[in-house]
Amino acid sequence: MIGNIAVAYPTDPLAIAGLWIALFLMLAIYSYPLWKENPVYRFAEHTFIAAALAIGIIVNLTSLMNTAVTPLMSGNLLMIIPILLGFCMYFLLVPKQRWVSRYPIAILVGSSLGLGIASNPLPSIVNQIISTVTPPKAGTAVWAMFPGAPTGDWFSFAFVAIGCLCATTYFLLTYEHIGPVKPVTIAGRYFIMLALGAYFGNTVLFRFSMLAERGKYLLQVLGLVPL
Amino acid sequence: MSGQNIWDKLQNVDRRVFYWILFVALTVPFLSPIGLPITITPSSQAFYDGIKTIEKGEVVVLSINSGVSAWGDCLPAMVASVHKVYDQGGKLIVWSIGYTDVDITWAKIKEKLPDVFSKWKEGEDYVYFGYSPPQETNVALLRDNIRAIYPKDVRGVATDQIPLMKDINGANKIKFVLSSDTGDAQMYYVRQWKNGPVNYEKTEKPPTVAELGIAMNKSGDMAYFLSGDLFGLVAGSRGAAELEALTGYKGDATITMDSISVSHILLVLAIILTNISMFATRGNKK
Repeated sequence: MIGNIAVAYPTDPLAIAGLWIALFLMLAIYSYPLWKENPVYRFAEHTFIAAALAIGIIVNLTSLMNTAVTPLMSGNLLMIIPILLGFCMYFLLVPKQRWVSRYPIAILVGSSLGLGIASNPLPSIVNQIISTVTPPKAGTAVWAMFPGAPTGDWFSFAFVAIGCLCATTYFLLTYEHIGPVKPVTIAGRYFIMLALGAYFGNTVLFRFSMLAERGKYLLQVLGLVPL
Repeated sequence: MSGQNIWDKLQNVDRRVFYWILFVALTVPFLSPIGLPITITPSSQAFYDGIKTIEKGEVVVLSINSGVSAWGDCLPAMVASVHKVYDQGGKLIVWSIGYTDVDITWAKIKEKLPDVFSKWKEGEDYVYFGYSPPQETNVALLRDNIRAIYPKDVRGVATDQIPLMKDINGANKIKFVLSSDTGDAQMYYVRQWKNGPVNYEKTEKPPTVAELGIAMNKSGDMAYFLSGDLFGLVAGSRGAAELEALTGYKGDATITMDSISVSHILLVLAIILTNISMFATRGNKK
């Protein structure tokens, strides 16, 4: 086993200073939820925004140089088109000539839309419908809650099928939800709430993961756990 | 205030008190690991089964579309995946669709795998291209012409001069795309690579895509895993811990899972207590 082994605590003073500055900035940011807004928090916030902006500008400029400017200088004259279109975007900042910026935006939106229309229906509509209506293969377990059952394929299949029908009915607004449709739409609402609950639960899990990572970093800088 | 009972007080506790308890509780398991058991979900198993099929010399793309802030969820899975690609004898192409801090993430992956990168030769076994802007059009172009987006790697070596890229200029010689996302860039690959007009040269099937995502997106990604558009799904620290268990490279995610489990227990207790106090005081307010 050689994967993911701990890294030794740095001995280089600059590297150590980097660790402690990062820790200071992290605690400064956390001082807002853990205490209240304060000048140290604002300093860290502004530092973060400035650093992120600086990195963003440099990285994007490098990308522009590599993909367009250098080829243009090497004789690929077609590269003048994307460079000019990119330049036109800055007319957003000039109120009277703002219309110029609409051309690159139109091309950007148009190309993305074209790609999406051509390629989205298969994974997002066709494959999803096929996946929903295809029953599990014969021989799989009925329900994972039964002891020894390897999968809950049939339960999942029925759950998704019923949930899909009920949730879709909930959004059919061309007729009043009364009579036999009413319990179906109520069930649809519960299915939607279940789905949103799962989304929210996963969101909380992600946020806790970020917080745990920062907690670990605190201990790592203090030398209490390996880097 | 003097007439408040314990349930009233519980409902009026400053939220910062809970934040502090949570922050302290999250850090304790790092000092004293509990070692809670980790079960394997089918989506992580499918990912592992997929990357086990990589044969010597086959090329895999690692698309790092997650930033430093998502390291807790995404980094351990990427580290374990890169190690597995190395173990299988595969080759690796790394780039990013839209994350300007990708250099830091790639440096961290290399730092975490010194044994791998001391043996792998840059340019022959792996190549790192860095950042490209976050557009689906870029992914569509990468499918057919990698050199148009990346005329050179981050070292400044022309792509034509990189031995690994000698015969590769598109998706047809890529076996898998392992996409690590905080957003939906994996769907760019599903739409433009897997469902695009491209066939992998060995199997004449399109290169398939797997997601190494954040837990927040698991519900949405699961639909694409179940429909077969993603061959595997490793979601969040939990998924990464499962992958570490499968590959045998116990690392950051395994350690972090204890901390996250403690936080969840704490959160469930807080929800139960808050609900009890709400029901206990409901009559009083009337």
